[in-house]
Amino acid sequence: MTTERQKMDVDIVCVGFGPASAGFLTTLTRAIQQDPTAPHFQSKVMPGMPLQVICYERADDIGFGVSGIVTEAKGIKASFTAEELSQIPMAHPVKHEEVYYLLDPVGASRRSWLLKMADFFLRIFKCILPWFKNEAFQLPFIPPFMAKHGGYVFSMGQFTQWLGSNLMGSGLVQIWPSMPVREPLFDSNRVVGVRLVDQGVEKSGKPTGAFMPGMDIHAALTVVGDGPYGPVGQNLDQKFGLPEGNHQREWALGMKAVVELPETTALKPGTVIHTFGYPEPEIFGFLYVYPNRMASLGIFIPSWLKNPMRTGYRYLQHWMQHPTLWKHLQGATLKSWGGKSLQEAGKRGEPFIVGDGFARIGEGSGSTNMLKGSGVDEAWTTGVQLAEGVIEILKTGKTFTKENLEETYLKRRRASWVEQEGNIAKKARDGFQHSFELGFMGMGISGFTNGTIHIPAKLKPVYEHVPSLEKYYQGRVAVDRIEKACKEANATNTSMHDALMDAAGWPAIQYDGKLLISHQDALLLGGKVQAAEGYADHVLFLDGRKCEKCSTKICIEMCSGQAITANSDGTVPLFDREKCIHCAACLWNCAYAREQGSELTNVDFRAGSGGLHSNIN
Amino acid sequence: MEKILYLAHTQQDGTLPKVALETLSAAIQITKDLSGSTMMVGLIGQNIQPAADAIAASGASKILGVSGADFAQSRYGSDVKAAEAIANAAGATLIIAPATSRFSRALPGVAFRLKAVIDTHISGIQTTGGTLQIQRWYYRQRMIATLSRTARPWMLLVDSGVFPVWQGAKGTAKVEAVSVALSEKEQRTRVTGVEAPSADAQTIRPDAALLFVAGAGWTKKQPDGQTHSKEAETLILGLLHKAKASLGSSKSLVDQGAEGEAVLSFISHLNQVGQTGATPRHPKGLATCCHGEEPHVVGWRFINERRAVNLDANCGWAQGKADVLYVADAFQVMKKVNELLDKS
Amino acid sequence: MTTAFNIVVCGSLVPDPLQTLEPIQGPTGPALKNEMMLPSVLDPWAGHALFEAANLAKHHPGTKVYLVSLGPKAKLQQLMMTIAQKVPFEFVCLDGPASGFLDSREVAKALASAIEKIPGLDKTKLLVFGGYSSASRDAGTTMQMIAEQLGISDVFLGADELKVQPDGSFRIMERIEGGQYQISSCAGAPIVIGWATGNLPEPPNNPQVGMANMRTIMPALQKAQPAALKTDGIQYASVQLPQQQRQTKIVKDTPVEEIAKEIVAWIRS
Repeated sequence: MTTERQKMDVDIVCVGFGPASAGFLTTLTRAIQQDPTAPHFQSKVMPGMPLQVICYERADDIGFGVSGIVTEAKGIKASFTAEELSQIPMAHPVKHEEVYYLLDPVGASRRSWLLKMADFFLRIFKCILPWFKNEAFQLPFIPPFMAKHGGYVFSMGQFTQWLGSNLMGSGLVQIWPSMPVREPLFDSNRVVGVRLVDQGVEKSGKPTGAFMPGMDIHAALTVVGDGPYGPVGQNLDQKFGLPEGNHQREWALGMKAVVELPETTALKPGTVIHTFGYPEPEIFGFLYVYPNRMASLGIFIPSWLKNPMRTGYRYLQHWMQHPTLWKHLQGATLKSWGGKSLQEAGKRGEPFIVGDGFARIGEGSGSTNMLKGSGVDEAWTTGVQLAEGVIEILKTGKTFTKENLEETYLKRRRASWVEQEGNIAKKARDGFQHSFELGFMGMGISGFTNGTIHIPAKLKPVYEHVPSLEKYYQGRVAVDRIEKACKEANATNTSMHDALMDAAGWPAIQYDGKLLISHQDALLLGGKVQAAEGYADHVLFLDGRKCEKCSTKICIEMCSGQAITANSDGTVPLFDREKCIHCAACLWNCAYAREQGSELTNVDFRAGSGGLHSNIN
Repeated sequence: MEKILYLAHTQQDGTLPKVALETLSAAIQITKDLSGSTMMVGLIGQNIQPAADAIAASGASKILGVSGADFAQSRYGSDVKAAEAIANAAGATLIIAPATSRFSRALPGVAFRLKAVIDTHISGIQTTGGTLQIQRWYYRQRMIATLSRTARPWMLLVDSGVFPVWQGAKGTAKVEAVSVALSEKEQRTRVTGVEAPSADAQTIRPDAALLFVAGAGWTKKQPDGQTHSKEAETLILGLLHKAKASLGSSKSLVDQGAEGEAVLSFISHLNQVGQTGATPRHPKGLATCCHGEEPHVVGWRFINERRAVNLDANCGWAQGKADVLYVADAFQVMKKVNELLDKS
Repeated sequence: MTTAFNIVVCGSLVPDPLQTLEPIQGPTGPALKNEMMLPSVLDPWAGHALFEAANLAKHHPGTKVYLVSLGPKAKLQQLMMTIAQKVPFEFVCLDGPASGFLDSREVAKALASAIEKIPGLDKTKLLVFGGYSSASRDAGTTMQMIAEQLGISDVFLGADELKVQPDGSFRIMERIEGGQYQISSCAGAPIVIGWATGNLPEPPNNPQVGMANMRTIMPALQKAQPAALKTDGIQYASVQLPQQQRQTKIVKDTPVEEIAKEIVAWIRS
């Protein structure tokens, strides 16, 4: 077996195949198809061959393990005709939108006195409020900044598969799934390509007999579309830092499922339901209806939810059982399930988008717009803009320097709706740093004033949003009960959120074996996780002493796949790569800073193989 | 009305394998059900007379045979030629044979030569309104189909454990020899031997009453934070020995070997049940430390009585699939089980 | 003596084993629900056959490996993305269904005629590999029928090992009953082997192999011939998921002694 590190030259290397890279590659290949023999579309590294463009994706296949989306599809519609978009399986134009404020039907939700008062009055006046039904208040109108009418609901998995298939069919680019990229390669400050992960190693990274060092892929341009927690993007941020004033302190975990609605469902394809207020006020929820009784649903758990027992899976089950949703979901069957972290800092989390030899696109480049709740269309559009910039550079025979990329790609991006709307959204949600009520008000004010007015706040690093268990449960769960739950979790190598949520008054989940199933079964039936052999663990607890001191162990509670579990001695948690769904919640769910003043936590999330096997998410 | 040919081969000792006697029951049943049908027997082997005598009371109208040293062993070229010759001599419309490794290899080729159609891994045969229907599984035992064919000849390879073993008196059978000459081309392969698993190797043995399925949990860290593979080996081997059980394993345990993890030394891919592994038939199955969904669980689809020991009450391997699930530490339980088996 | 072989591996796609499958009645017979949307993998046994072929090619310079696949062209294209980085091969694509409900005879006919058409194939050096079973039809009959059409009289099924002996003959280990192996010696090519799992690990992904393979894969996909397969040979009365859901009795919070006693009594019963 080869142990020498191999090297390969291509013209353009792309990292990650999501909507941004798909937008880039689609636009580029279309241009090449129009003029395939043009000198500027010929390879520099392989003379006589067309431009060598290659894209590496971590997941075991393209379109695996992503999410349901609703989008205005401004950028996407500019790239495709309605006829073309109708070919995407499970896609449907948005037909009907509803937004609900959900009250707490079980009495366990964490609500301020203000909210409790509001709930009280809503219940008192429910007979005269036409919009109050099933423990929820339906907003009489859709705030314009949230409206998606004219857009589409998609399965992101099917969307990217469709795009990938078209791209591969063109024969002009190669997309290789199941190939994680470890890091960028630098020549001083210039990115000269990427290094792939080592294969044939133990979980610790120690080479085995089948060791094959990750290959170095050299390219004139590295397109970084590996999302908010991709290893290449993370490495670039660590090397270059973020532009002054920018930080990435807002995250959320999207915990999602695809369900088959009951045969009697009244929901029509193209229906979009958004919720907030329950199971915790800050948790937003969604339900998008596809054709053939399929629907995508889920919740978002934000980093500023000051709750050390954030647990996506259990909260999702409570959310689904809210009467407003349960009337649609009772009798539904879970088909697929998964989770993913979103970098919600958006424009404020923007990194250095271009540099010598590299350009960043998509969510990792700060394109996500959390006021609109939209990221896919923005990601797609940044990819398209980069492709247009790259074509311009190629045509003029220039090189991929920072200046040239600024002059072409960045200039387009800055002049576009992505930038303008990103700026409006930039501070719209700052109020949530104070409270749910102010956050919600702030969003409305920002939305209606196009970002002119917002509620100011100082944003804290993610690890400062994790209160101690004792403080959080003060007056609700006794300290000795917390200690008992902790001991039980350690003794059984599990987690303690179920015990503590039960103790805090959340009703136990009555499994129905179809939609309400145990977390373990969700991993087996709907999660479909697999980890190929021969790769190193990608989740690392950097300083064990911090884990030893840590009593909340929020990384365990927040782990979407039960891959991080309590160690018997209560010290450094255990990590099981075979269960990891690559949601990266652990990256921002840690109570300790990596170093004093650092933006990062004590958990490192590196390039890893495997994850979910589902393309209907 | 069918002309049925029951086809079998002898084992090294001249007897018919158990699955062949099971398939004979099926052939007799079909002959009865499809009124007006007749059954012939075809035998292949070095010396087939004892086997023919053993089934003399089967009611066959004729026993055809190909015998001799050339047909002693399982070899594609000679087996195909022999079976083809018998089938031609019989002029059969239905050919029923046991799914031994020898016939599983040869008969599809025979079917092609005869311009016949063939179905294998048959797990059920019935006649409905004079039409013969068979059952077989698709997509690795994940769905079962009932089907029939109008084309003839139709060749059926029946799996073991589906029909009862035929029991009848011995007699003296008249075997009509069918002569078959092999060309040089058909003798390019020589069987040089059989490699039996070493005495301490644990395999899936179809004759065992109990299938013990070991899951990946045996090699995971236990409550003390350590793995206990050696102890796991002792416990498992102890049970296999004492209960005379056959050993199966989940895919994840088999796969661990390649990950540099502590694994059980005696487990190989031959032990795997489900997915790319076997789907054995045993009266009882005991799964320990297994997790898994449908593709894994199909490994014990053909186990009649199923019990599981697992720490998770909601385990997908057990819920709705086992008769009893014991929520307990398998190390402790198996230790105790071994102690009790010792005493009894 | 080293021999250069022409190895043809027959293998196609099957649903990713982690997917939930549901049968439906299609226009030409049973099919899987959302068949075109289900993620696919290379049939695991065919995968082993391919790795064995690549391993043999590595040790026998000059050996050529072909992968012949029958399946929907678009799905095969996707499949290639996940396997083309594994081992070097030349791709031969037959555009047609990959359903397990097809008659193996039809599949074998299509594959054998595609093998016959491979330009420059030397039949005296031919080794035809495939799985000894598939994760779709699971019949174990296709390879023998291919052998018959190609006029090859040496067929092995359930092989875990093929060793080329110094005299050029093959030593083959086949799985037989009771966990045993039958050892055979065959004079040499041409032969047909239906592989069991073999003993080789899955090779790591190699980007250079992927790049090289892709140069033949895209043209092969583009010139893929539609394979017309008859679907009227089998009359399916029904295709169902097994319905039996067992009533699982959960025994918990019970002393280990009690549990052990119960298990022993059950084993002994």
